[in-house]
Amino acid sequence: MMQFFYFHLMPWPHLPRDFEQAYDSAWVTLPNQLYDPKRGHRLYNEYLDELEHAERLGFDGVCVNEHHQNAYGTMPSPNLMAAALARRTTRAKLAILGNAIGLRDHPLRVAEEIAMLDVLSGGRVISGFVRGIGCEHLSLGINPTHSRERFYEAHDLILRAWTEPGPFTFEGDHFRVRYANIWPRPLQQPHPPVWLPSQGSPETIAFGARHRYPFVSVFTPYANARRLLREYQDEAERQGYRATPQQLGFAVPLYVGRSDAEARRDAKPHLLWLFRRGLKIPPHFLAPPGYLSEDTLRRFLLADIKPPSELSFEELERDGYILVGSAATVRDRLKEIQRELNIGLFVGGGRIGDMSHDKAMRSAELFAREVMPHFRRRPPAARKAVR
Amino acid sequence: MAYRSDVVQVRDVRTHLQRGGRGSPLLVLHPEFTAHTWAPYHDALAARFHVLAPDHPGFGSSQRPAWLESIDDLVFHYVDLLDHLEIARVSIVGTSLGGWIGAAFAVAHPERVERLVLAAPAGIKVDGVARYDYFANPVEDVLVHLFHDPTRAAQILPTEYGAEVLVRGYHELTTLARLSWNPYLYDPTLTRRLARINAPTLIVWGAEDRVLPPPHADAWVARVPHAMLKILPACGHLVPFEQAGAFAALAIEFLGA
Repeated sequence: MMQFFYFHLMPWPHLPRDFEQAYDSAWVTLPNQLYDPKRGHRLYNEYLDELEHAERLGFDGVCVNEHHQNAYGTMPSPNLMAAALARRTTRAKLAILGNAIGLRDHPLRVAEEIAMLDVLSGGRVISGFVRGIGCEHLSLGINPTHSRERFYEAHDLILRAWTEPGPFTFEGDHFRVRYANIWPRPLQQPHPPVWLPSQGSPETIAFGARHRYPFVSVFTPYANARRLLREYQDEAERQGYRATPQQLGFAVPLYVGRSDAEARRDAKPHLLWLFRRGLKIPPHFLAPPGYLSEDTLRRFLLADIKPPSELSFEELERDGYILVGSAATVRDRLKEIQRELNIGLFVGGGRIGDMSHDKAMRSAELFAREVMPHFRRRPPAARKAVR
Repeated sequence: MAYRSDVVQVRDVRTHLQRGGRGSPLLVLHPEFTAHTWAPYHDALAARFHVLAPDHPGFGSSQRPAWLESIDDLVFHYVDLLDHLEIARVSIVGTSLGGWIGAAFAVAHPERVERLVLAAPAGIKVDGVARYDYFANPVEDVLVHLFHDPTRAAQILPTEYGAEVLVRGYHELTTLARLSWNPYLYDPTLTRRLARINAPTLIVWGAEDRVLPPPHADAWVARVPHAMLKILPACGHLVPFEQAGAFAALAIEFLGA
């Protein structure tokens, strides 16, 4: 059994033609005058239409996420988008992958907003937690050397706020409150599911396995995703239990066409947009001092991996950064992935880079009609797609 | 000039200390990029003084203790170092980050400071004057930006760029970020406290400083009670490295060995 989640970054696709020569990055210093709010209005509404349509197509959940001051993903507040979706969907899980809890001024605000969303949506919220990427510590003035401790501390405060009768006092190194007592409380008990979408430092994996939080490997080469999910399962065993597929997730940019050739042709420019433009991030933005542990940095330097922004489409495909093909190809590959990674959570979609609304909808429909049913226990007829 | 290199235990911090020369003690505090260096200006100063050139905790070969978060922590560390060395009073030469530490030391412990030489010290903000951002630029740009004449940067560039050198650089930048990511390179309380410095103070600035541009110099001179200012032409931010001879001559004359 596999659960399917439709993922959206809400990119800003209208970058200038000479972006790659003219700008260092799609993050931090990309002038916000390149954002046109009038076009943004139309895009936001199309993007929400796509997420709402994913529910009608039978996806188990729809996903939003937090990124700041960039063209890669224009969702600084994922909770706002989840709120919009809460009123226009009825069944799908609302997966926020995730709130960057270490970047926020006060984690209680996240605890409150997630509780609001959970009550509003009738208990459909999945609450992902992330640290925020390196760039965002420059964009928001948060000290990257505190990133990890802020993340753990924010997590502890939020979990206590959801589960412990208030008021209580919390006194951490970074966050302090003498009367933590959130109203409303979340509907799901003991609390909404917490997921960890991550590119997988050993620390995060151990933390996830210890708390039994589902771990979703995000936008990383397939071999790396396999290693991370293996590490999580090993860590679970060290903790004395066996990780279930419902704890193991794989997120990948996905495109389905009517044939392999058509899929490649149609998806290629948009996937290259994602990696060459959206993910154009120089090292000093990607890893500001202290954001990475020195061990992680050393491993990365010695591995001598090409940045994904420098890979060709063929290399992206070969290394499994992306999943592109006909429904049959994608289905077969996904069967392999399911078998190899033992995953029960698949996060795919959506409208990639500068892809058109119609193309994104066609791909999602093909995936929902011709791929998803093969991973369901019940016969596919019950989940007919509607337009 | 001969100098020796030791590791001294200062409370819980293994501290790398280079020492050379004879005379009254002179604490030389390095800037953010040249820890574990005995440079020509050290030699020149050691001709007249007993130069003590420690690596700050988290730089060079000194350990970074878990508690290190602020310039104040470093001030306490240097009080402990002087106590350990049984030195009651000292003159201080500090550059950029080292100048910030030296000024903060003189603010907190005026009774222990004889004279103060600050070369383009960090630590204060001047409204409307941008400070170059070490954290938002490629490291190659940063190192060149420290000098007016970019060819002078060669003396502080690594001779090779293996993984360990890069990890070492990341380690030092991480220490700098812990001390001064936000507020960036200044302490909002320092400006008003500078009036507490009672040691005679020489401020030296490069006319072509592209990291902390010269208007910073005026702000320092306006706030430190007994300060005089020297501006060196054709000189960038790392004054003692770009104009070693001129800087050492000014310092020696001022310190009056």
